Amino acid sequence: MDRRKFLGVGLAAFAAIVVPGTDLKAMNFRETKPKAWEIEKTVDGIKALYGNAGLKKSDKLTFKAPKLAENGGSIPITIKSSLDLESIALFQDANPRCLSCVFSVPKGAIIEYDFRIKMRQTAVVTIVGKERGTGTLYTASKEIDVSIGGCGG
Amino acid sequence: MAKKMKIKAKEKKGIVKVKAMFTSLMADKEEAVKKGIKASYIKYIVAKVNDVIVYEVTMSGFMSENPLIKFKFNGKKGDKIVFTTIDNNGKEQTGKKKIK
Repeated sequence: MDRRKFLGVGLAAFAAIVVPGTDLKAMNFRETKPKAWEIEKTVDGIKALYGNAGLKKSDKLTFKAPKLAENGGSIPITIKSSLDLESIALFQDANPRCLSCVFSVPKGAIIEYDFRIKMRQTAVVTIVGKERGTGTLYTASKEIDVSIGGCGG
Repeated sequence: MAKKMKIKAKEKKGIVKVKAMFTSLMADKEEAVKKGIKASYIKYIVAKVNDVIVYEVTMSGFMSENPLIKFKFNGKKGDKIVFTTIDNNGKEQTGKKKIK
């Protein structure tokens, strides 16, 4: 078997293992996409995590966040969506690395996640959701003003 | 530092509301250097009911200290919800709670 073919076979086998795995088993994004966790800029981070597919704005994927955060160390964020999403990721430009968290959504789950993040400075927060099946990417973003930086700053 | 997990789970009309708080400094590399401590943050949280995943998240150190999470799922009373967290050093912790 020449090298070109071998690579192709390897990739196919890899895809075959990964695809059914996403539905049944836990997915650790840190292991599957280690690069995405080291990237600084949101745009590049989205590409590293989800590929080059186009982003769509949608009313069905929204998140709540304060316009002005007094304490950058703890900014409450609520993500809501009525879409059937496979995963949701949160990116921001304020910190040395853009990716804050990635949710992998179980089938039939209610998407309403509450959590808190840290931000060093005023920046745009972007969330990206990937639809189950079609793989369409939806996005929403907001600018959050931070008066006191988190991250020990 | 006490390593504890606080979990609350309540059922209402078939929907279970869960609140959970984990103890972690959530200090990523840069912050750890500033404070002169070792980097320590939870990187992975998973919640299961009857071995079915209901909540799963991979995080970086940019979540706030002692992360508090809230979520909802379809479930029923009496089941047990099991949380597992893994931190950046690979240390695992589990916590259980019965759904009220």
